[in-house]
Amino acid sequence: MKPKVLLDKIGLWSATTVASAALMLSVMPMTASAINVPTEVTEVGKDTYKKYCSPCHGEEGKGDGPLARSLLPKPRDFSRGAYKFRTTPSGSLPTDEDIYRTIFYGVPNSTMIPWDILTEEQRLSVIPVLKSFSEAFEVRKPDASVNVGLEIRPTERTIAEGKKIYEEKLECWKCHGVEGRGDGPSASEQEDDFGFPIKPFDFTTGKFKGGNSPTDVYLRFTTGLNGTPMPSFAKELSDEQRWYLTHYVLSLIKPEETQNK
Amino acid sequence: MKICLSECQVMRKIIFFSFLFGFLGWCAISLKNISAQQQYTEIEVIDGGNVIGNVKYVGDLAAVGLDLYRDWELSDTSKTPSEKLIFSKINNGLKNATVSIKDITKGKKKRIPTIHPIIDQQNNIYIPHVIAILTGTTIDILHGDEGMHNIHTRSIKNQPFNLGTTYKQRISKKFDYPEIIKLSCDLHKYACAWIVVLDNPYFDVTDRNGYFEICDIPPGTYRFQVWHEELGNLEKEVTVHPKETTSIECVYPQN
Repeated sequence: MKPKVLLDKIGLWSATTVASAALMLSVMPMTASAINVPTEVTEVGKDTYKKYCSPCHGEEGKGDGPLARSLLPKPRDFSRGAYKFRTTPSGSLPTDEDIYRTIFYGVPNSTMIPWDILTEEQRLSVIPVLKSFSEAFEVRKPDASVNVGLEIRPTERTIAEGKKIYEEKLECWKCHGVEGRGDGPSASEQEDDFGFPIKPFDFTTGKFKGGNSPTDVYLRFTTGLNGTPMPSFAKELSDEQRWYLTHYVLSLIKPEETQNK
Repeated sequence: MKICLSECQVMRKIIFFSFLFGFLGWCAISLKNISAQQQYTEIEVIDGGNVIGNVKYVGDLAAVGLDLYRDWELSDTSKTPSEKLIFSKINNGLKNATVSIKDITKGKKKRIPTIHPIIDQQNNIYIPHVIAILTGTTIDILHGDEGMHNIHTRSIKNQPFNLGTTYKQRISKKFDYPEIIKLSCDLHKYACAWIVVLDNPYFDVTDRNGYFEICDIPPGTYRFQVWHEELGNLEKEVTVHPKETTSIECVYPQN
């Protein structure tokens, strides 16, 4: 082998290594393993919970803090271990990353703000405190996260297919309304697991509680929202059909209306 | 040479002891788990006694309310009779009450049915309305209607679930912890069923005349518990004699 060819080879290999390392680094913060959640309840966690969370969620985590009475949707009662926004299958407990996500981004259309005023250590330290409120975390373990397949590109066809599912197959309109305004015939009688009335989501606002990306919307009806009447459709719909429905739901957003409000 | 040998021996000893301790630790942990989980021991019951009985409700039937303000037509809730409180008019026997023995520590073998018990949903109503099962039993929930339903359970220890289903869907779920679980459909508010999970095999659900039967109980005095979704709990102490059938009557007081 000529020395020049050898040099070229070495150069190529080193370039590949550097590129892949760079790729790894860029992907790293996106993956869940980037955060380190403490396993034990710490003093920092207790203090943070008492100061920032307990006014609404209550000292014992039962969702009965002094401010809870005037809020709708009601602050979550942690004693049942039912969390709405997860990546795990219906009924399962959330992973630590799911809880962290909700604390970090907050829940739009509700009084849960994004807690970016806290340090990362404080946000993380609250997670074991929340888990300690429910005996479910002692008995069960969270299931593995749902595998989100490759996203399909939205086209007119996928939206039309999604519309069929929305109106005929799953009858989503019964609660969410034909135009997605949350005014279907069964909308008024819905209750959550704690006995509080709950409103089906109005898609036209475009501020999805679990996040606005197609993946987030896809995850909501794949996993369902625990503690609410919203079921999981993991058994009923194929992966593709769920993307169709995602595209249809996203097409219901009416930006011009939202701006006027 | 000698030093090398002794080193080898030391290494072997260390490895041996580490294995031994590991094994002992594993044994201790598994034993602890067993003692924590299984309070009920299975024995062969030779001179077991039977208990038959009747659960009664002596009181005014809470009349099913007609929802007059809802629509021009009768609402679905008013068309179908409520299954919450059904009792026989002949002997006041209460249907769908679960009778179980609360404090039994040893008795007959736990037999988990290999054919899964079924809860079927037909015309928006769950059949049966109340089902009592042993821990570890798998239940199949069927869907016999053309419309859409969702199957929503509220439980803490057993993993809850809320699944949307359409025609001919079959869902199998296993229940591992003793709990009383409500199963309902959010689209049809009046449809609900109860799954009572118990950790010993001595239980029964009363029939439409309020009768139940529990067999092969080792002789002794036990506390029987009756549970009904509307009327709550009722306890009664019963002494079981060997090879005899004891007849009891549990009466819910008028409230």
